[in-house]
Amino acid sequence: MASKALPLPDHEDQPPRRVKEILPISFSLFGAFGQLKELAQYWDLIYTMSQHRVRVRYKQSMLGIAWAILQPLSLMLIYTVIFSYVAKIPSNGQPYAIFVFVGLLPWTYFSTTLNAATNSLVSHINLVTKVYFPREILPLTYVLAAFFDFLIALLIMACMMVYYHTSVTANLLWTIPIIVLMTLFVTAMALISSAAQVRFRDVGVGIPLLLQIWMYATPVVYPLSTIAKLSKPLRVIYMLNPMVGIIENFRRAVLQGIGPDMTSLVLSCAVSLILLPGAYIYFKHAEASAVDII
Amino acid sequence: MIDLKLDHVSKRYLIRHEADANNKVHPLLQKLSNLWNRPEEFWALRDVSFEVQRGEALGIIGRNGAGKSTILKLLANITRPTAGKITINGRLSALIEVGSGFHQDLTGRENIYLSGSILGMNRSEITRKLDSIIDFAGIRQFIDTPVKRYSSGMYVRLGFSIAAHLEPDILLLDEVLAVGDGAFQLKCMNRIKELEHAGTTIVFISHDLRAIERVCDRVILLKSGEIVACGPPSEVIKVYDPPRKVDGKHQRELLIFNNLNPNAGLKFEVERIEVVERDGSIKHELRTGDYVRFRISWRSDEILEQGGVELGIRTLDGVPLIQYSTRPVSTTDVRFYQGRNSIELVFDEFPLASGDYQLSAGLTIPMVTWLHRVDSFGLLHVKENDILRSGFPLESSCSVLAVPHQWIVAAEEQEGVSPNVNVELFS
Repeated sequence: MASKALPLPDHEDQPPRRVKEILPISFSLFGAFGQLKELAQYWDLIYTMSQHRVRVRYKQSMLGIAWAILQPLSLMLIYTVIFSYVAKIPSNGQPYAIFVFVGLLPWTYFSTTLNAATNSLVSHINLVTKVYFPREILPLTYVLAAFFDFLIALLIMACMMVYYHTSVTANLLWTIPIIVLMTLFVTAMALISSAAQVRFRDVGVGIPLLLQIWMYATPVVYPLSTIAKLSKPLRVIYMLNPMVGIIENFRRAVLQGIGPDMTSLVLSCAVSLILLPGAYIYFKHAEASAVDII
Repeated sequence: MIDLKLDHVSKRYLIRHEADANNKVHPLLQKLSNLWNRPEEFWALRDVSFEVQRGEALGIIGRNGAGKSTILKLLANITRPTAGKITINGRLSALIEVGSGFHQDLTGRENIYLSGSILGMNRSEITRKLDSIIDFAGIRQFIDTPVKRYSSGMYVRLGFSIAAHLEPDILLLDEVLAVGDGAFQLKCMNRIKELEHAGTTIVFISHDLRAIERVCDRVILLKSGEIVACGPPSEVIKVYDPPRKVDGKHQRELLIFNNLNPNAGLKFEVERIEVVERDGSIKHELRTGDYVRFRISWRSDEILEQGGVELGIRTLDGVPLIQYSTRPVSTTDVRFYQGRNSIELVFDEFPLASGDYQLSAGLTIPMVTWLHRVDSFGLLHVKENDILRSGFPLESSCSVLAVPHQWIVAAEEQEGVSPNVNVELFS
């Protein structure tokens, strides 16, 4: 074994050291946000971990990255048969296949992340109990990995749009803020579920069920217009689910080429923007005691 | 300059009791009642305060459960104190159990990036040190192979190589020195010494009193979460471990060596080596010249008519001293049964001088192939025994082999020559 001299730290000639204080767990609103700055210093770790998450997922599978496309594609086929041919659900005058595919893409992004991220703290127990890094990195890497899959699937969506001669308008640009909004909401949910899973393993069991119900409470396989029959207050309650505004408006921008439905979009925005800081504070609070419980 | 400061730090753990089988209460009710009932308290640390100067090496010793690991976890910011305040001045790294950040499906190279960034290096830093890390681990040939195909030795070497390339201001050391083979432990020790000379502040937590004595300037003794002594290593160690068994870490512990990297996926796997007394009980210590039986236990998932077992003992530098196999070295037939198997290698007089050695064991199909092999069972410490009754028992540093022997002085040779010389000298 070659034993070359290893680099040694130079303790004399250095910029001033960062002083760190470790204090008992206390609940503070702004304390949690101070840690955002620390999170930024860990960008390398977030990047490396997410990259590897994507790699590992496809490493020993034959189809590799094609799985990112196959899942929404096969769901599309199933739903097209069931909801279009059997149940005859309206699809805003679009071919049902592309209608449901465009709804399924953001939904898959959301459900994949939530399913995977819920276990992120618990499954990395050997890391969490041995090395310090901001723990939110673990759920965040699942968000990023799923986001990568989402981007791949967007390419397929583009192909389908060409195939179905979907007209592209400037309103397509609305997808960008919608995707950002969705990522914020997904992140918030991932933070909450992963932290809650540490204390209550029921969460991990419940999430797949919750996601199934949630999908039908979201206009994925049907258009938002079908719930026009509901009374106004019921509709507002329905729209408090941020995924409603996200998926409906994503589809509007992509397929119909029209501007967003402002009521649902604003509601989605409001709920997500209130939820995210709350989720972060909850996560940081739970993080501090996670090791003692996990 | 103070690099590290604990200010009246306490840590409390809450213990919830799981519903046990004898309990009459329904487990669900038990869980519900646990939600109201106050769980039992356990204070791992009580009001602990100390400071570490820049460049100082502080050792922390104490029995199991004294609070050593809790201190380590607190310093590494893995868990938070219940009361008090910890101030850390600079970049702190823990030389953690190597390889815990590895992902099985990723290659060595990918794992260097992953593990490196978990330990706090950034990408450019890792890229810069990549070659050095690979060379230090000595695995250049396998760097693009998934680590799940690595031998346990390669795994450990890569893990340590990454950790050794950290350049922290403050270095935390756990029982790292207790794992891995002797060569690895030496490397570990050398790197620690290097960092110490470069002025790195070190906190070293260990059972190994000799290692503590070698590395540390000052030692703290913990008992039930409180500091009971603090001072120069030799004095504190005397308090901890009264002189009659200063050398005695090994004295009370049973000599059982477990495979540290068990892998249930293997069909054949060496599980442990026990050092056994004549009456079959496990020894507390092994001395030069002792009667000893090395009991090797292994697991086999299938029946094998013609198996083979090997036991190896090497010096810390890896020189093989003993490499004995049932075949071809001996002519013993071994049949592997499904489940647990064991075999004993007997020495009437153990031939090695006092010192530390590495134990290894393996399963083979004799002359054909290895089935499983463990290179690193940890250190076998042989205690001195004055088999020659000279008052100078042999140590491995001067002679590794200590077999009975004698000198025979040629009594009547060249009579007259030397006395003459002597006479002349004295006259």
